[in-house]
Amino acid sequence: MRSAPSRTLRALPTLLRIGVAETVAYRAEFLVWILTTTQPLIMLGLWTSVAREAPFAQYSSADFVAYFLACLIVRQLTGNWVAWQMSEEVRSGAMAMRLLRPLHPFFAYAASHAAAIPFRSIIALPVAIVLLASSGAGALTTDPVQLALLVPSIALAWLITFAVMFAIGALAFFLTQTMAIANLYFGLFSLFSGYLMPLDLLGPIAGIARWTPFRFMLSAPVELITRTLDRDQIVRLLGGQLAWAAATLVAALVLWRAGVRRFEAVGG
Amino acid sequence: MIRARDLTKHFKVHKRPPGIVSALRSVVRRRYDVVKAVDGVSFTIERGERVGFLGPNGAGKTTTLKVLSGLLHPTSGEVVVEGCVPYRRQASFLGQITLVMGQKSQLIWDLPPAETYAMNRAVFDVPRVQYDQTLAELTELLELAPLLDKPTRQLSLGERMKCELAAALLHRPTTLFLDEPTIGLDVAMQVAIRDFVRSYNQRHEATVLLTSHYMDDVVALCPRIIVIDQGKLIHDGDLRQLIKTMDPDKRVSFTLTQPIGDDELARLGTVLARDGQRITLRVGERDVAGVIARVLGALKAADLAIEDPPLEDILRVMFGKRRGDRAAEAS
Amino acid sequence: MTRYLRLFALQLRVSAASAMAYRANFLIQGAMSLLWTALALLPLIVVFGQRDQLAGWSAPAALILMAYFLAVRAVMEGMISPSLVDLVEKIRSGSFDYVLLKPIDAQAMISASHYEPWRVFDLLGAIAIVIYAFAQPGAPPLSLPHLALGIALFVAGVLAAYALWILCAAASFWVVRLDNLMYLLGAIFDIARWPVDIFRGGWRFVFTFVIPVAVMTTFPAEGLLGRLHAGKIAAIFGGTLALLALSRLVWRTAIRSYTSASS
Repeated sequence: MRSAPSRTLRALPTLLRIGVAETVAYRAEFLVWILTTTQPLIMLGLWTSVAREAPFAQYSSADFVAYFLACLIVRQLTGNWVAWQMSEEVRSGAMAMRLLRPLHPFFAYAASHAAAIPFRSIIALPVAIVLLASSGAGALTTDPVQLALLVPSIALAWLITFAVMFAIGALAFFLTQTMAIANLYFGLFSLFSGYLMPLDLLGPIAGIARWTPFRFMLSAPVELITRTLDRDQIVRLLGGQLAWAAATLVAALVLWRAGVRRFEAVGG
Repeated sequence: MIRARDLTKHFKVHKRPPGIVSALRSVVRRRYDVVKAVDGVSFTIERGERVGFLGPNGAGKTTTLKVLSGLLHPTSGEVVVEGCVPYRRQASFLGQITLVMGQKSQLIWDLPPAETYAMNRAVFDVPRVQYDQTLAELTELLELAPLLDKPTRQLSLGERMKCELAAALLHRPTTLFLDEPTIGLDVAMQVAIRDFVRSYNQRHEATVLLTSHYMDDVVALCPRIIVIDQGKLIHDGDLRQLIKTMDPDKRVSFTLTQPIGDDELARLGTVLARDGQRITLRVGERDVAGVIARVLGALKAADLAIEDPPLEDILRVMFGKRRGDRAAEAS
Repeated sequence: MTRYLRLFALQLRVSAASAMAYRANFLIQGAMSLLWTALALLPLIVVFGQRDQLAGWSAPAALILMAYFLAVRAVMEGMISPSLVDLVEKIRSGSFDYVLLKPIDAQAMISASHYEPWRVFDLLGAIAIVIYAFAQPGAPPLSLPHLALGIALFVAGVLAAYALWILCAAASFWVVRLDNLMYLLGAIFDIARWPVDIFRGGWRFVFTFVIPVAVMTTFPAEGLLGRLHAGKIAAIFGGTLALLALSRLVWRTAIRSYTSASS
């Protein structure tokens, strides 16, 4: 048989196609996905109301609009539910089937979730982008370097998010309550990533947050969009993303390997 | 009494050809095929009868049972069970019937069957005394004692099926709809369940409608069978009668003790199987006596057996012929 | 009637037994409870760190509203959400057929099939927050009729949330694989943690009348604080009843569709 990477590459188009077909198969999931990323919109409602009379900690109403719309866009592009999917597949026995195929599940899942992105966000994303460009324009960065780095930054954010979700999914080999852990994780994520509110507003918590991977899953690209940063800050943001991407990737694969070994020992 | 008249049930099935373009198109507009699961079926079943429904996969047997139990609205036609219209699902109706689906479970997965039984007792509002009696009877007949307090997920398939049956009968229904109750079970368990069902039918004069892929279930349990193929009823009557009508020839088997020429064998009947010295012949009903005389007399053969053709073969021919006819029509 | 009560009691016992079976659950649930409560209070702490009112609500008032949110959510996640998960699973596996075969209303059977008993701590936490809020120096006074109204409106809020849940449950018949259904409900419900006054114009209308999130938290809090007049109170109860009726209608339509289409 060919080597693993080459096989993966050859399988990619089919995986992507099936990822699309799966997403499209259940029309209501569109709607649900769109609606589940409403947290930034709710926060937007709250904070624009707060900042209506006067800016709140240097954030004007427009600043908040820009911030939360940017959060929404980044979240649409990087969010995934692979932890839930894996937990379910372990429970239902579908995971055992997956392990019999000569394709590392990491790639299989990654491909299907990546492929689903355009279809999941087909409605919300254009709307959000248009809104951001029109109403929040004043609060956006104009630095060409930052804008150019947006794509790699979002890609890295996606990778970190995916790796962490994959790692949590791998916990399903060890524990039965992975859903609870995934929910707990989402709570921490919304706090430390800036999803709940800009990290600046969190005072001492912000200091802790800056050392967690969460920040690099969401806040990093958002900062690139909404702030004007100097060279140093940009390097630290992207460098941090690269470092965390590598770290979470390794951790995810190690955890996966341990999980599969346990799975095989226990008998599935 | 169960009565169905011109029962018809159509389903709309979403049609989706492969490929990315059709996948996208299906988001906006869906194409449907109409499947005629049940197509103008009529029959009457009296109280206390045991009837088997036979047919190939997808013939409409399960759909018919679901309509009879009220889970599905018929597209057209009339159906009455014990004086009630099933799909109204009135409490009095539901208290008289039960549906057991071999492929689906009503037992709570993480808890012992005893909890499901308690739930059913509350739901069906069974008086304490009657409940205790019924449970004792079922426990004895099905040998449930060691199983009642183990979580369902720890039981084997056969044990689970027994517990499922008990759960379905706690409210002492008078009409039993059994959809593939013995699927996946070993032979001993199949026999046990068959015996139990027969015993329940005799004790409580309960009507039993059974669908099964295992011919032995039907042959052992049901004097009357209804054959359904492609939604249409193609036979309704005595099992023996069906066999006689479709294939009146008998199967005669014996073991040779001395060699015999091929042409002499051919004169006795058509050779169906030859396994070393063991021969199985197909012999016309009228010729059976003559063949037996020759086989035992001149040939001095041993281990003579005379049997009806197996039901499987008959049905296979029946359905195969219909499929062939349909293919011929289509082309 | 007693049959239904007996059934609910039984289901509660069964769920409690299930819950106690996993001891690790307690720790995880406890941690989550604390985390989510802290997360809920955090924006309030940040806002009131610099401001003294939020869309016309003082700090104690906003705390009370948050407490209602936590309380309604406790009921939702303690009773309604787990039952919904169970329903979706039953539909997927085909076991829902057995629910229809029981001589008990299907909606009643699935509404309270699973409980998460640990949520009762969230409820107690909410009550603690209310007490704390009223103990604050700037807090409005509390009178007995207002307390009674506050409790009655809490029940109405729970019923409104329940009606929305039934609508989602009905939707799951038409689209069988709706894994994210819980998150949909949670997302909609999330809006309830803030007073509906933060919204202006169109959105305010939507969240008061179309997806009546306001009924779940804003109105009960206003009732407790004595800010509601009789006309509005009547409208709230009337609206809740109408919503319940609508959800029942949609549910029955969904069942009808299921029994026509399932194969």
